[in-house]
Amino acid sequence: MSEPVNIRQIAPGTKIALVDGALAEVVSNPADGVWVFARYLSSPGDPSRVGGEEMIFAQDIVEIRE
Amino acid sequence: MATTRIQGYRPGLVDVATGQISREIFVNDEIYQDELERVFARAWLFVGHESQIPSPGDFFVSSMGEESVILCRDRVGKVHVFLNSCRHRGMKVCRYDEGNAAVLTCPYHGWSYSTDGRLVGVPYFREAYHSTLDRSAWGLVEVAQLCLYKSSVWATWDPAAPPFLEYLGDFLPYIDLTLDAWDGSDGGTEILCGIQKWRVPCNWKFPAENFSGDSYHNISHRSVDLVGIGPSGSGRRDMPELNMARKLHIAFPERGHQTTSYLLPKEAAPPPAYQHSSVVSDYFRECEEARRKKQGDWGRMIALVGEVFPNTAFLARQPRTLAAWHPRGAHETEIWRCFLVDKSAPAEVKDFLRDYYIRYSGPGGMTEQDDMENWNYAHAASRGTIARRYPYSYEQGMGTAVDNYEWEGFRVPGTVCDLTQAKSSEHNLRNLYRRWAEFMEAESWDELTIWRRQRQAEAAE
Repeated sequence: MSEPVNIRQIAPGTKIALVDGALAEVVSNPADGVWVFARYLSSPGDPSRVGGEEMIFAQDIVEIRE
Repeated sequence: MATTRIQGYRPGLVDVATGQISREIFVNDEIYQDELERVFARAWLFVGHESQIPSPGDFFVSSMGEESVILCRDRVGKVHVFLNSCRHRGMKVCRYDEGNAAVLTCPYHGWSYSTDGRLVGVPYFREAYHSTLDRSAWGLVEVAQLCLYKSSVWATWDPAAPPFLEYLGDFLPYIDLTLDAWDGSDGGTEILCGIQKWRVPCNWKFPAENFSGDSYHNISHRSVDLVGIGPSGSGRRDMPELNMARKLHIAFPERGHQTTSYLLPKEAAPPPAYQHSSVVSDYFRECEEARRKKQGDWGRMIALVGEVFPNTAFLARQPRTLAAWHPRGAHETEIWRCFLVDKSAPAEVKDFLRDYYIRYSGPGGMTEQDDMENWNYAHAASRGTIARRYPYSYEQGMGTAVDNYEWEGFRVPGTVCDLTQAKSSEHNLRNLYRRWAEFMEAESWDELTIWRRQRQAEAAE
């Protein structure tokens, strides 16, 4: 299991890897420690999400990719 | 004394005909629970001031009855008031006093709401809910009605309540005397610094009746008068124009609002005030001259204190403040007090007023300390088995109020009791409790909108 990511410190533009294998880029961060807004760059499980913007739950973020 | 609703509040507990009110309505826990439902869940309540949330995303956590509410401005600038309780498990969504946020996120399970109240974030929405949760049905609970009036924010949980302006009726111009700028122009005020919040071990109706117009208790502020905290160095205030005015208790029986106000004689020039600072003194003289010119005969009216039913009080002049008496049980009240200043006033005026206002009001203010001591010990000494058998007396000025009061060509709106010679009256206090009893007995707003029935009857004649 990977180390928990402190999402409050993630700046817009940061790329994040998600638990389902998707990659997304942070658009904005409300700094509530629970959510970030991000745009999908890739989504192997559901390619229709690519380019779409969603709120990403902290526990779905497994890694920061810069 | 029995407290069942069947027996009735008016004949059993609030007897305005004899001027006697049972202590039970202050100390009885069962009555208090009834009050939350029948008064606080139905009446219009003061929530805050727009100057507390100037920008999109700004929020301020306020209170309506015992409920925590979020006053916020959404991303397109619209003002909302929401119950501060997550729809999932009830957790307080917002635990800060104020701030700015893109979303309001519950710290318990992470449900997240946009500033217009929509549920926008649900953890594991796809996985755990299989994308079937109807997010549109699970937004924050919003008040039934909201009204922004001269930057003050009011709300009610009851969709059947009359609109706010109808709720206030002819009392409206009296609260304008607090909400307008000092020169009488519409609104233009802001909250000075923050809100003072503190708790007093008394029922919320003790401060409510005090600010409805209890001038009989002035003796308990005598020490403050002796200290001379007023803005010209003597007394509590310097409003010498009051010595030439008619002192009036003005009540609106069908609505439950009341004020102590002063009516100046025609052509009375404003006497000097705020003599400790020439900048402040000049500012107020110029504003007062402008106000009287702008408002004509109404400019002769000066409000002192008043109460919007049930729990919002104002002091119009020295100090200029709004207060809410938030119930926290039958035996405790959380007092929130804010001070209003003209947005455009010079910094020296704001600084001067800040110092004077906190010297006067709030938990550290000398005058309010006296009040708190009275309310605290009056409540405590009324709780006992023996004490609660004996009603309070509200007999001052019974039978002396008139509906068509006029002085020097000015007809005063409301039911008026002239205190100029009488010194004191409990006319306004009886008005507060009459309305309170009506709320406690009425099953619907149809019964409470007495003025509508009167209007219909007049139209039928």
